[in-house]
Amino acid sequence: MKLRLISMITALFFAMPAAQAVPPIQQATLPNGLSVLLMEAHNVPMLSMTLVIPAGSAFDAKGKGGTATMLAGMLADHTARHDHISWADMLDQDAIQLGAGAGQDTLSISLTVLKDALTPGLDAFSELLKQPGWNKKRFAIMKQDTLAAAQKEKEEPGVQAAQAAVELLFGDHPYGHRPSGTMESLATISLNDVKSLFARQVKPSGAVLAVSGDITLAELLPLLEARLADWQGKPAQMLTDIPQPTALAGLSKDVHMPTSQTMVQLNRLGAARSDAAFFPVFVLNHMLGGGGFGSRLMEEVREKRGLVYGVYSYFSPLAVAGPFVISLQTRADQATQAEDVVRTVLAEMAAGKISKDQLKASKENLIGSFAQRLDSNRERVELISMIGIYGLPLDYLSSWTQHVEAVSLDEVTAEAARFLKPESWNRIRVGSKLD
Amino acid sequence: MLFRLTTLLMLLSSLSVFSAHAGQLQQAEFKNGVKLIVEEDHSAPVAMVQIWLKVGGRDELPGKTGLAHVFEHMMFKGSKKLGPGEYSKRISAMGGNDNAFTSNDYTAYFETVPSHRVSEVLGMEAERFANLRLRDEDFQKEIKVIMEERRMRTEDDPNSRMFEELSAASLRLHPYRNPVIGWMQDLEKLSIEDVKAFYNKHYVPGNAIVVVVGDVDFAEMEKTVAKTFGRLKAKPVSPRFNPVEPEPFGPKRIMVEVPAQLPMLAVTVPVPVWKPGENDREAAALALATHIMAGGRSARLSREIVDAQRKAFAASAGYDATAMGLDLWYAYGLLGPGQKPEAFEKALWALIDDMASNPVGEKQLKAAKRNIIAANVFAQDSLYLRAKEIGHMEVVGLGANNRDNWLEQIGKVEPADIQKAVKRWLKQERSTTGLLKPEVKS
Repeated sequence: MKLRLISMITALFFAMPAAQAVPPIQQATLPNGLSVLLMEAHNVPMLSMTLVIPAGSAFDAKGKGGTATMLAGMLADHTARHDHISWADMLDQDAIQLGAGAGQDTLSISLTVLKDALTPGLDAFSELLKQPGWNKKRFAIMKQDTLAAAQKEKEEPGVQAAQAAVELLFGDHPYGHRPSGTMESLATISLNDVKSLFARQVKPSGAVLAVSGDITLAELLPLLEARLADWQGKPAQMLTDIPQPTALAGLSKDVHMPTSQTMVQLNRLGAARSDAAFFPVFVLNHMLGGGGFGSRLMEEVREKRGLVYGVYSYFSPLAVAGPFVISLQTRADQATQAEDVVRTVLAEMAAGKISKDQLKASKENLIGSFAQRLDSNRERVELISMIGIYGLPLDYLSSWTQHVEAVSLDEVTAEAARFLKPESWNRIRVGSKLD
Repeated sequence: MLFRLTTLLMLLSSLSVFSAHAGQLQQAEFKNGVKLIVEEDHSAPVAMVQIWLKVGGRDELPGKTGLAHVFEHMMFKGSKKLGPGEYSKRISAMGGNDNAFTSNDYTAYFETVPSHRVSEVLGMEAERFANLRLRDEDFQKEIKVIMEERRMRTEDDPNSRMFEELSAASLRLHPYRNPVIGWMQDLEKLSIEDVKAFYNKHYVPGNAIVVVVGDVDFAEMEKTVAKTFGRLKAKPVSPRFNPVEPEPFGPKRIMVEVPAQLPMLAVTVPVPVWKPGENDREAAALALATHIMAGGRSARLSREIVDAQRKAFAASAGYDATAMGLDLWYAYGLLGPGQKPEAFEKALWALIDDMASNPVGEKQLKAAKRNIIAANVFAQDSLYLRAKEIGHMEVVGLGANNRDNWLEQIGKVEPADIQKAVKRWLKQERSTTGLLKPEVKS
């Protein structure tokens, strides 16, 4: 088959200090609109790849939270050509690791193979994508098991808190349910719902295939073209169709569970992936509670007072603003004290009490640990797919440390005023003594 | 380029076709007993440094459980030269965090750093290793933190609770009966004196192994370690606590009744670990038997008990051939509404009996071997996992040089070996069964 590339290969490589050198990301677009991103790594004869498609739980039909996750499960389970048994045997025969999953924005299909099993691996990958099986019996079994798993999950305070948080923060917005759904929403999902999501959203145009491993773009493209040329179409909705959520503040919800600890989570809307101040917010969160030891919350709540094992913060930079969360667990009678400490830290930082030294320490930690973020093909693929699906520049990784380095105290202070005012946060508590 | 990879690929090539490159594991031992192991890999300008200690939960005295893990916390509290907080600050400035892990068999501390900072890290690691500041006020705070960690991981998690109880019921002498985090009753009684005694006894050069994987030069590393860890004063090394577990006299059974949504049934059986040259075929056969039951997509527990018989909504099993003394082999099933523990238990033993009575198919065995070896190849692209495997093999006494030997033994296993190993060890009369029963409120 003849290759007709819409855009030719572009490779960007910015001059970097030797210690941080990151291999360039090469990009190509297949005629069907699928964007291919590759980072070469020839030290181990293996490849990892992930196809990300705007078909995450944000595209679940109303009241049917969990549809995208069920779709991922069905796609990975069997195909029209292979029942679940022959499919599993075939993949295991060549040690092909092939799976699928769903987040809020995207559905992803991931493949990890030895280089010598690339051909059967790609064959299986394209079969999964182009020839779904939709076996009714398998769907019934999967649904029953998913429902049981959803019930089992309710034993975890973190799951209960996350469920309460999405409902509180997002309500009817497409982010208003967890990707795995609830027992109630899962019960309403039919095979037709799953097929319909596939038919609407699983299309090459706007999708991204991220690859890391022992291959060149010249080798990879003909293999993809041969298998994916007849996969055509454009999804009904794009990530840009996800509406902006409305900010809510000062709300509170308690969930009762028979635990000895109380989980306290404060939440609010965070920054979208495309936020102009992404790096300042990223560094701010690292200083607040994203950086483990050395973060303000860890210092105040754990190191100084011994109230918790862990206290952390994170924000989910999605297509639009996802949740910004601060979470801790402590013995029930210490929960109020711990929450007060968190609120004091928030108030101080929002008021601009951030020192140059703290900023420097956070930046050093982030830059120093950057190599660990890229430690394996699978970790690289995750980052590359994120770059592709959110349209970030191809030099994102090679210029990452420069972007962190460039964040100024003024910028961080401005973002602290924007995000950390205590009254702008909501609260979820999970536990047995919630007075 | 990578010696390790070469061997792995050769192992694979006995099953399929492969080509390979070269490089290797380099080792040095210092007069005070410190060992250095380096695997050079110049594909990126970074290195993983891991300090492994031959001390873990198993080395605690009765009544002092949790002590080994206390160090994972105290090691970040400063040393003679580095004030409290300063150590953390300097590690943080290099990109590190609270990077450590503790198990029953070992404790390890690790950093990923640009290659040119490896000697700085080793200097700091040696300093805190030798001159740890053990202050009561730090300990009092950390022990509270550890109690919160235990509440989070065990007390409030019905499945963890059940496995903790099950391990304790399964063994009488072997230290795997105790949780690494420690029993709450012991944590409440630990003192700074206990911490100091444990430190003086176990944090000695003869228990330390320095593992470096990445863009470093072995000769340089040898010099650096000679100037840091190699200079520490030699101290006596106490033998590891490794008692012989008495044979079970019959099946045991426990029930854990705590607040939970759904039941879980788990079974444990004490089984042998790998002793190179002594039980190669048996240990490798147990590993493959467990993989055929629980590994890959064609796992029999999922295919037969979950998918076909519908006796559980998820099921798995595990065996660690690199444990010390023995391993507590386990299998469990998560039960959905209407799925009965008795029915799952029956199905599990029927499957085990079938594996003892009938040979596994050649195709299935070949796939299992290939998946175990492929998982090792996949792990070669992570400096962290490579260093971890080297350190782990060393501290449990197997030796990192035996990594590939293990995979060779896996390659040699035949269907009859699997039948024999399952028949000999996975017997109901040697097992302990635990049921997590959701508490019903009256």
